[in-house]
Amino acid sequence: MIAAITVLTIVLAAAGTVLYLGSYFWGGFLILAAIALHLFKVFKRDGAEETMALVKKSYKMLWVPLAGIVIAIVTGGIIMVVTGYNPFKAYAALFYGGLVRNWHISVLNAAPLLFTGLSIAVAFKAGLFNIGAEGQYYMGAMAAAWLGLTLNLPSVISITLIFVIAGAFGAAWNFVPAILKVRTGAHEVITTMMLAHTARYLSPVFIRANGGDPSTSTHPYVTTEILESNWLPAFQSFLPEANYRLHTGILIAILAAIFVQYLIYQTRIGFEIRAVGQNRDAARAQGISIGRNIMRALLIAGFLAGLAGVNQVTGLDHKLFENLQAGYGWNGISVALLASNSPIGVIFTSLFWGMLDAGGQYMVRTTQTPNAIVEIVKGILLFLVVAKYIYVYLGDWIRKRRKRRLAAGVAAAEGAAS
Amino acid sequence: MASKSERKVILETRGVYKQFPKVLANQDVNIKLHEGEILCLLGENGAGKSTLMNILYGLYKPTAGEMYLNGRSVVFSSPKDAIRLGLGMVHQHFMLVETLTVTENIILGSEPGRGVQIDYREARKRVKELSETYGLKIDPDAMIENLSVGLQQRVEILKALYRDARILILDEPTAVLTPQEVEELFGVIKELRASGVSIIIITHKLEEVLDISDRVYILRRGKIEGERATADVNKEELANLMVGRSVVLTVHREPHEPHPEPVFEIENLHVLDDRAYPAVNGLTLSVRPGEVVGIAGVDGNGQSELADAIMGLRPVQSGRLLHLGSDIARMSTKERIGRSISYVPADRQRYGLVLSMTIAENIAMGYHDRSPNARGINLDYPAMARRAEELIGQFDIRAPGPLTPAGQLSGGNQQKVILAREFTRKPTFLLVSQPTRGLDVGAIEYIHSEVLAMRSQDVGVLMISLELEEIFALADRILVLYEGAIVKELDPDRTDEREVGFFMTGGKEKAS
Amino acid sequence: MNVLSIFNTDLLVAMVRLSTPITLAAIGATICERSGVVNIAMEGIMIVGAFFAAVVAYFTGSPWLGLVAGVFAGGVYSMIHAAATVSLHLDHTVSGAVLNILAFGLTRYLMVLVFGHPGTSEPIARTLGNFQVAIPLLSRIPVIGPIFFNQTPIVYLSFVMVIFFTWFLKKTKTGLHVRASGEHPLALETIGVSVYRMRYLGVIVSGLMGGLAGAYLSIENSASFTEGMTNGKGFIAMAAMISGGWRPVGAFLASLFFGFADALQIRFQVFKVLQVPEEIFIIFPYIATLLAVAGLVRRSRPPKADGVDFMIERPEE
Repeated sequence: MIAAITVLTIVLAAAGTVLYLGSYFWGGFLILAAIALHLFKVFKRDGAEETMALVKKSYKMLWVPLAGIVIAIVTGGIIMVVTGYNPFKAYAALFYGGLVRNWHISVLNAAPLLFTGLSIAVAFKAGLFNIGAEGQYYMGAMAAAWLGLTLNLPSVISITLIFVIAGAFGAAWNFVPAILKVRTGAHEVITTMMLAHTARYLSPVFIRANGGDPSTSTHPYVTTEILESNWLPAFQSFLPEANYRLHTGILIAILAAIFVQYLIYQTRIGFEIRAVGQNRDAARAQGISIGRNIMRALLIAGFLAGLAGVNQVTGLDHKLFENLQAGYGWNGISVALLASNSPIGVIFTSLFWGMLDAGGQYMVRTTQTPNAIVEIVKGILLFLVVAKYIYVYLGDWIRKRRKRRLAAGVAAAEGAAS
Repeated sequence: MASKSERKVILETRGVYKQFPKVLANQDVNIKLHEGEILCLLGENGAGKSTLMNILYGLYKPTAGEMYLNGRSVVFSSPKDAIRLGLGMVHQHFMLVETLTVTENIILGSEPGRGVQIDYREARKRVKELSETYGLKIDPDAMIENLSVGLQQRVEILKALYRDARILILDEPTAVLTPQEVEELFGVIKELRASGVSIIIITHKLEEVLDISDRVYILRRGKIEGERATADVNKEELANLMVGRSVVLTVHREPHEPHPEPVFEIENLHVLDDRAYPAVNGLTLSVRPGEVVGIAGVDGNGQSELADAIMGLRPVQSGRLLHLGSDIARMSTKERIGRSISYVPADRQRYGLVLSMTIAENIAMGYHDRSPNARGINLDYPAMARRAEELIGQFDIRAPGPLTPAGQLSGGNQQKVILAREFTRKPTFLLVSQPTRGLDVGAIEYIHSEVLAMRSQDVGVLMISLELEEIFALADRILVLYEGAIVKELDPDRTDEREVGFFMTGGKEKAS
Repeated sequence: MNVLSIFNTDLLVAMVRLSTPITLAAIGATICERSGVVNIAMEGIMIVGAFFAAVVAYFTGSPWLGLVAGVFAGGVYSMIHAAATVSLHLDHTVSGAVLNILAFGLTRYLMVLVFGHPGTSEPIARTLGNFQVAIPLLSRIPVIGPIFFNQTPIVYLSFVMVIFFTWFLKKTKTGLHVRASGEHPLALETIGVSVYRMRYLGVIVSGLMGGLAGAYLSIENSASFTEGMTNGKGFIAMAAMISGGWRPVGAFLASLFFGFADALQIRFQVFKVLQVPEEIFIIFPYIATLLAVAGLVRRSRPPKADGVDFMIERPEE
């Protein structure tokens, strides 16, 4: 029962976020409803005191990212002023573009990030850094394109098959780093990164073999369009007002996040992965196999990153572009870190990141501010969120200053008195 | 000898406080050190002795309080200041870089040589001179990782002397030494005193205080509980001051007849260490249900490799491990745990617990894949929490609740979580390694009585310990481990610490 | 065409040239990790160094000023890593990853700002590539002469760096402190040498070296800056550091091997030895790196406290 309510809450919150992005305000009520529902659940179960404690705790947890966002935006603004752009105009365009005008692009951007973010979060849970998620993304995308071109089955079956098989390709691409890590201890940062570069360069080979035309050198290579039966259904088919490009990939991604949350925190597989990630030696002494769990974590990570590729090919583009700087792997790291590797948290951070990207594009078009300012704001924000210790220092410093002022005040008062 | 009042005070603390994020480690500590004396600082584990010494040495900054050196107020911003003013410290965990040579370790931070380059020739010469002056023989070119613990300690002392230390602080210097090495060390200390060095020894062993010191401060829960001249004090009084009640450190051990059929046997076991050198060399032993077999030995003679091999954490090169008659040498750790072999590891934070996980999760770990902790692939968290709740009561674990992360508990309570997990699995064979390391007297008593309770339930217990006191308190048979093999079996009722120590250092029986 | 004709002196000359940035970055990373800080931000540091070297060389017309700017920029950028990992106790890999991401955003932004467009900068008129110097006598030695002693300035500098840092680690006081800081930091702190200082030093050295490696890419080996021109070299440098056993000379040899793999694939591409897509050759160095790390990692031992946060005051148990 409680589990059902939890899932319902999460779905409501996620749906609320998506809809909010799409429909200006009224979807926001769904988010509020989800929060209220969750609080009610806690209240029913643990009483008023616990509920207040939870509110306080969430407030404390949110304080760091919120402070980070504010500082990053202010710093970005200062950079813009110094380099000669108008920060108010730029930010107005950014948020108008990302939240209102092109909200569907925000959502489209978020889906693959959600997959790669989950991929990296799962690996982090096992104490591993899947820095080369981009490579697994390419493998998934290539497999999806190939299957999309060849599979001619009823939609439901073929799309399911594509998700499973292409995801498996992503996982297989991570098999090499996994086995090397287990057998020789080769660091996954280097091995997955090398394989990411390898996959990146294999994609043009694949594209040329599947309809890409090398003679048009100005235009990026692109495969022929996949069969229409292999397209992910668009929102338009049941929400007529929705943008024609918006597809159901985001829903699958959210479901994946819920599943990963369940896998990590409710199952014994997740338990073992977490134990290995937090204390390898202790886990081993309790009979938990380190090798098997490294394997599991990296294969699951590869699978999820592969799904990001599937999502782009079957949902958005319906073909595979050669895009050597896609960066879903990198941005996946960001959204995972920003969410402290919480699978549910990744839903929100990926939507936020997608919003920044979409808004950034709109900002470039309307205000000519370079898009890269968004990258810098993202980088600073990320830094402020991961370097939590900054706030410890800051707190210390403020406390000391207050003390010193107080002492000075007392001394002054004493001096005056004597 | 000059009377106390005439002797010059060279080091003094006044009202030292140290507040850590969660504990007040020192409060209002006032101590005086006289020139040329051996001062003991006696206290239980966790009483705040090391913290105080680290403050004296400039490593920690006191929250409040002052220090005076030769009557002048001093503030140390780093150990550099302390060293410059003639303080030296030998830490409990040696501060030696294992991959560097003896010479490099000794000169580190005050290297001879002009400009940026080190004059290694000069350095070697000085180290040699120093070791000859104080009669501390050492090979200046040996790698630290190849030295025995006793020799490493010697390097630490030389390190302080190289910096012209006039005050030497020794933190639990005898913890890892054999009785023979302890005697040798005490000889060195007395010689140093004769040459005018003032010495502070931190210890929790009463005998040591009486053996070596001139004067003693007793520290309890961060506060000075008393000061005594060693000549005017006896063991009982010291124990009383240290623990706050009279303690009998020997737990009552009732006679218990073990079953004749062994539950666990090791035959001619060979195991390699991390550097692929043989660490366990043809070790053979057997444990019967209902007895405690104690393995005594100097650290580094194959203890950890033996424990690893028994639990399947390290491959066995050759030999057999027989549990209830079947060879488990090739089985996985998981299978061994499944066969009701329980293990209390020496390093509880590294091998015993996942500190960031809750008590409930830590207790379930190992059996997390079976009922009642799991149903199919799903974990049953409410059941895990209920069980943890029950064991928290049964083992008297001081914790807010089953969902508290294990890392927030004190050392003693962490160890109790491990005991709760391992002892309630209905073991037939129990491997216990240094079960009381770093714990206070109360926790030690509790853990010893729990181990003896397992014995009276006819569990075969194999205990590895570096503390001879512990071995004598619990073991029915003592096996002496030296260079990876059992060199001697002794009956605790018919031997003493000296004899055990003799075999621990490789002593051979006289061919009579 | 004879495949064997590829194997000539030119191949080895190319090997040295292509390995230079890897060597420099690998030595920087080696010093950094010997001090105990893991640095996966070499890629980002290199790209920052490459950008600033190119900008300064382009606008001043002096590649030497560009060189200084590149090195300096790398050093400054690495300070963020030092502050984050040492003072702010942030996980080293996380900080490195964030810095890589930030570096690409930063250079893209500045690219637009300075040159008005993303992608590749305008060509630089005078580069360090123009200063090819043959060292008298030494360059006459057959085979070895042309390979090692008829090169461009930063290549020579990389040789000097190999020798300098080997000496630094083995013979100097600071070198000894750096080594101790990566093996047993508390031991160093207890004899009065600041671990923070050593680690800051290690990270900054890696920044300067990374900046130098970047400058090599943009103003010596080519004549312009391109976004993403490091192309994984920062990570290959880490692989060289590991394969080289955390020693400068080892890192140099490993880098030569990776440079060789790169030189070989370019030749294969140009001469169309096999009738396969050229990308198959491009991935060759990456696979070689993968295999080298997998094969050699077991034999080399990392510094014991590599990547371990250092904080003095922890409450006792």
